[in-house]
Amino acid sequence: MPVDRRQAAVFAGAFALRLLLLVLFPSLPDLLTGRVEVSTPVSSFKRLQEGLFLYTRNVSPYDGGVFHQAPLLLPIFALLPNAREFPLPTALFYSLIDLINANALITISDSGQAVSGRLFSALRKHIRWDGVSVAAWFLFNPFTIATCLGRSTSVFTTTGILYALSSAVGGNSLNAMLSLGFASYLSIYPALLFTPLVLLCYDRRAQGPNPPSGVAIFAVQHMAIFLCSIAGLLGISCLIVGDFSQFISATYGFQLLVPDLTPNVGLWWYFFIEMFDSFREFFLGVFWLHLAAYVGGLTVRLRRQPLFVITSLLGIFAVFKPYPSISDASLYFALLPLYRHLFPLMRYTFFAVSALLYATLLGPAFYHLWIYAGSGNANFFYAITLVWSLGLSILLADTIFAVLRDEWEQENPEMRGKEARQV
Amino acid sequence: MATPAALPPLPFNPARVRSYLLRLPLFTRLVVLAIIVFWLLELQTVWSVVQWGSLAPDEIGFGSMYRLNTYPFIHNGFFHAFLNLVALTPLVERFEAEHGTLTAVALFLGPLSTFPAGLYLLIEKFLLHRNTAVVGASVWVFLLFGTEAIKTFKSHPYFSLGNYKIPTWTSPLFACIVVSILMSNTSFLGHLCAILIGYLFGLGYLKVFVPPEKILRWIEGKLNLLGRLPHYVSVDQKTYGRYGVLPTTNTMGERGTPMSYLGSSQPAIRKLRSNPHFLFVHLPHVLSFLCVLAGVVWLLLLPLNDYSRRTYISENALLPGQVHAYFSGSDQNIFRGYRKELEGLLPNGAPGEGPERNDIELTPEISDKIQSVLRASGLKVATQKYEYTSAGITHQGQNVYAIIQAPRGDATEAIVLVTAWKTADGELNLNGVTLALTLARYFKRWSLWSKDIIFLITPDSKSGTQAWIDAYHDMQPPSVQPLPLKSGALQGGLVVEYPFDHRFESLHIVYDGVNGQLPNLDLINTAVSIAGGQMGIGANLQEMWDHDDSYEARLQTILRGMAKQGFGYATGAHSSFMPYHIDAITLQTKGDGWQDEMALGRTVESLCRSLNNLLEHLHQSFFFYLLMQTNRFVSIGTYLPSAMLIAGNFTIMAIALWLRTGYYMGSKPKPSVKTDASQDEKKEQAASSQDKGKPKATNVEQNGDANSIIERQLALPLSFVVGLHLLGLAPLFIFNNLSHKYFTTATYTVIVADLVLPLLLAVLLTQGFTPKPQQYLLMKSFSLLLLGLFLSTLATLNFSLSFMIGLLCTPLSFVNRISPTTSAPIRYALAFIGLVLLNLLSPPVVLLGGCWYTGVSVETILTQAAFGWDVWGMWTQVVVWCVWWPAWMIGCALLGFSLF
Repeated sequence: MPVDRRQAAVFAGAFALRLLLLVLFPSLPDLLTGRVEVSTPVSSFKRLQEGLFLYTRNVSPYDGGVFHQAPLLLPIFALLPNAREFPLPTALFYSLIDLINANALITISDSGQAVSGRLFSALRKHIRWDGVSVAAWFLFNPFTIATCLGRSTSVFTTTGILYALSSAVGGNSLNAMLSLGFASYLSIYPALLFTPLVLLCYDRRAQGPNPPSGVAIFAVQHMAIFLCSIAGLLGISCLIVGDFSQFISATYGFQLLVPDLTPNVGLWWYFFIEMFDSFREFFLGVFWLHLAAYVGGLTVRLRRQPLFVITSLLGIFAVFKPYPSISDASLYFALLPLYRHLFPLMRYTFFAVSALLYATLLGPAFYHLWIYAGSGNANFFYAITLVWSLGLSILLADTIFAVLRDEWEQENPEMRGKEARQV
Repeated sequence: MATPAALPPLPFNPARVRSYLLRLPLFTRLVVLAIIVFWLLELQTVWSVVQWGSLAPDEIGFGSMYRLNTYPFIHNGFFHAFLNLVALTPLVERFEAEHGTLTAVALFLGPLSTFPAGLYLLIEKFLLHRNTAVVGASVWVFLLFGTEAIKTFKSHPYFSLGNYKIPTWTSPLFACIVVSILMSNTSFLGHLCAILIGYLFGLGYLKVFVPPEKILRWIEGKLNLLGRLPHYVSVDQKTYGRYGVLPTTNTMGERGTPMSYLGSSQPAIRKLRSNPHFLFVHLPHVLSFLCVLAGVVWLLLLPLNDYSRRTYISENALLPGQVHAYFSGSDQNIFRGYRKELEGLLPNGAPGEGPERNDIELTPEISDKIQSVLRASGLKVATQKYEYTSAGITHQGQNVYAIIQAPRGDATEAIVLVTAWKTADGELNLNGVTLALTLARYFKRWSLWSKDIIFLITPDSKSGTQAWIDAYHDMQPPSVQPLPLKSGALQGGLVVEYPFDHRFESLHIVYDGVNGQLPNLDLINTAVSIAGGQMGIGANLQEMWDHDDSYEARLQTILRGMAKQGFGYATGAHSSFMPYHIDAITLQTKGDGWQDEMALGRTVESLCRSLNNLLEHLHQSFFFYLLMQTNRFVSIGTYLPSAMLIAGNFTIMAIALWLRTGYYMGSKPKPSVKTDASQDEKKEQAASSQDKGKPKATNVEQNGDANSIIERQLALPLSFVVGLHLLGLAPLFIFNNLSHKYFTTATYTVIVADLVLPLLLAVLLTQGFTPKPQQYLLMKSFSLLLLGLFLSTLATLNFSLSFMIGLLCTPLSFVNRISPTTSAPIRYALAFIGLVLLNLLSPPVVLLGGCWYTGVSVETILTQAAFGWDVWGMWTQVVVWCVWWPAWMIGCALLGFSLF
């Protein structure tokens, strides 16, 4: 495999930056691990260590109700030396994962599926960044770096999703399904990406030399692969943990029923703190339904651009997931530069970016006022998470608008670059 | 006839009213404006416009002759102003349309206001010997009524009512009578004087005062008033009759002057959209400036009664001063005994007053004595050694502390009583320490404590408490020993300072914490109310020894509080408690009066009793406030907008610049822009290959359509701004790790570097990258966006720091790269002057200026700052070097770009 020089430089730079931060500020990883913006109950490295401690001593890791992550992570991390005494190997491991993710991004970008697919071809496809720029954007994004240093386990989900995408755009639908199965196994929500991903695989295969017969059969086949991969992973987990029901309720039950209302950057925790218990189940259903509802609508409306549907869905998840963190936002931001050709059509980028920047600064400040200084209260922090979600939502709506505008201009070439008003 | 008959026609046509209003001539507009402005001015309470400008007979002297001219513009409230405006506007408009603007100005500001006033004064003061002040434009209303009545009289002498023939010139008199009957508080005499002058004017006796037409025409021609002033009515125009030639058509149509877009206000607003230069370039500057102004004015309004509140005890459990304090009598003898014992251990025996007494350190013998006394009183005693090194200076010492275990508590909560051997000002606190020992013995005998009481005696006020409180929470650095003995969660802290031997007059309450954090207001209120209410000892804040509750004194107290909060240093031993969310204050004795140590002891006792009552941590009252007097404060909701407005000014400018780079670049005619842009583009592509191949097609597109967004090139501005912010870490690191000997040198080095670096950056960037004009604007936009972002975040944490930095940074909103189209000498001169002025506002120069003003050496301040960074966890430096300095540097660099 010929290694691009720029790619090597970017990767080396990103790797060096992470190591440099680690060496210069040895307390930074622990600080970030403790931040609610980085670590959620389902991705916290501290909780993973607790689970690891129990696991290595042959106690069920789910005893004690602290650990809620997939059991497959345990044997992997058991191989690494104790992160408390030797932080370097773990940090190197996480940095490598970041580089792997970036590599997947390069594949996705270089395939050009974002600008032209089987059913569409963007008008401004000449305006785009190459794969290395996209990877650099991802690797040098402060949110990505913070997630990496905070050792949040959501990076593995990110890897699963990105590899599913890169396999799909490469036409390897089997691998795509296996990767998505891995991501869904780690944290349930990636399963919602199944439909657009199958469509992406289908479109890609239909472009190839031997196109598949029909969408329905293709989807059913892949559904079977997807389910088999999950079943396989669950089976292995069962072998590791032993008590199947405890493992299911401690991981997936925990993610679905949201019993831990530790503050995070999302919208669920405050809402469910305020909720009367009798309405809890109802609103759980409503919230999950709301999250899942976007899949259908976006897939149907943007049938021609399944990759963009996945990108938008990831953005939506970063806002409306039960336990979101900045790592979800960083995944969304990683995929956005693929749509560089849409930037000229976007209207509120500055506003959205400003809102996100404000939230990034004010969030920790208000959290400090609430938790440490004691002079603020929960509403301070919640208000800022609202601003954060608002910024992300504006960005989402703006990109979706840009895509629709792009499609519309294709259908109405005479209206290119002109003002149009919907009536 | 198709319209339904059910709709009666309107009595007046709104369109006509509108067109009438839009055609009002210049002087009329000015008068209306002045009246409205004075009415608005009257709304505030500081400065009574009516008292200032009314025609009060007794107030008239040579110095207050202005009253003869100001009184018609001033009114007594909304209805007065409104009615007079309604009556006056048509009359003045008519007058001006007939006689021209210049004549109207000359007459109304001259004889037509002074003559009625003079007449009124004569009658009121010398005939009636009364003193009724009058205000209002009704004088002009009746005066013009009078003139008009004379005019009517000349054409229609009478109107008939039945058999009676009433002369028309009397109509103003009727009106005057009706008005005085219908409305209260109208000056009949004043109106009468006005009518009289009006008659005289109408009859032509005042013609001499009308300026000669020749002069007027000369002035008008010389100054080209007709071309310059909108709505101006020419002297000549009266020859055309009342509506001969409309002024608007005159200025707009015939003489198309460059300023003609200001022709009338309504098209002016409409033209905003078609005048992008104003919208994108001037308007943001105006808005930014208004924001800064509003921010400062807002702060100045705070001391007023309307914006501040009286303090009150919010936490009912505190019950300040409700218990009798028993600390007296025999305890005084114990106090004297302890004092003697401690004095005996001082190196030169008992020292007198004097500076040498302040050099006495807390020796191990004294420490042992203190421990033995505490132990003898039945307390558990422990010690803690600590050592800090900062800026090459080592601070070390040994804390002694003792705990009274609560007879009625479970050791889950505690109160701390701190006495430092050296006060915050470095004085020997012998009486304070002795008082603590006496109080420890006294408190031990009481059975009513429900919280543990910890007595902490530290060698100094700077580091001792910090070491202790860090160790109490197991957060201490390795050089500090852990605590062998601990109690429960700390509920409050009191620091007592009594650094002299004579009696004292009042208590000074110090409350500022590290990084501007403040204790709960309830604690200060309790101390004030116990000292003042129960003990009869006065309390002071912020070293305001004679606070007369005037506006100035209040403002000064606020400003002193803001300065301390903004610098964020520890103002006393209590400051170290604040980061751990423990409310604490220092009580300092001040002055020479008749209060003795027993009074101080009783105050402390009563305060401890109040804290002892607490059921939960102090949380009821405010944590963010500005105190202006011991019993007055403003809360965050009232004062925060002031810093936010100042931070907002940067954000407004940043957004405006962003929009400007996208939609509007420069004011050149379109075709030349096209060619320029495409040439630039070619040059750009040829020069910089690392620019990611920006395709030509977009340019064709953007040039083809004027309304489309111009593509922004962000890479260079973004990396420039981010890079400079990261570069700020270098001076931060240097100043926090240098030895104290080099601080002065380092400061001067940084000043020189600040002079050179912007120019260097400008040369490098212009030579290396040849940025486009758009990119300069983007640099400024990003820099200001970040500045606004940081300052508004900071305002929620440390209001005063954000306000101060914001004020110091305001010039950065208005600093631009001077366009290269400006002729070179002017450009160089402007850039040079700008750079010199900006350098006067650079962080190190401001530091030097501050040092020169306060008379403290730079080394002392920087040593203190480094100590704060190392020991207290103070982050004022971070704000200075990573927020202020980069923003300032980019402002300077922008000016530097205009040189190359």
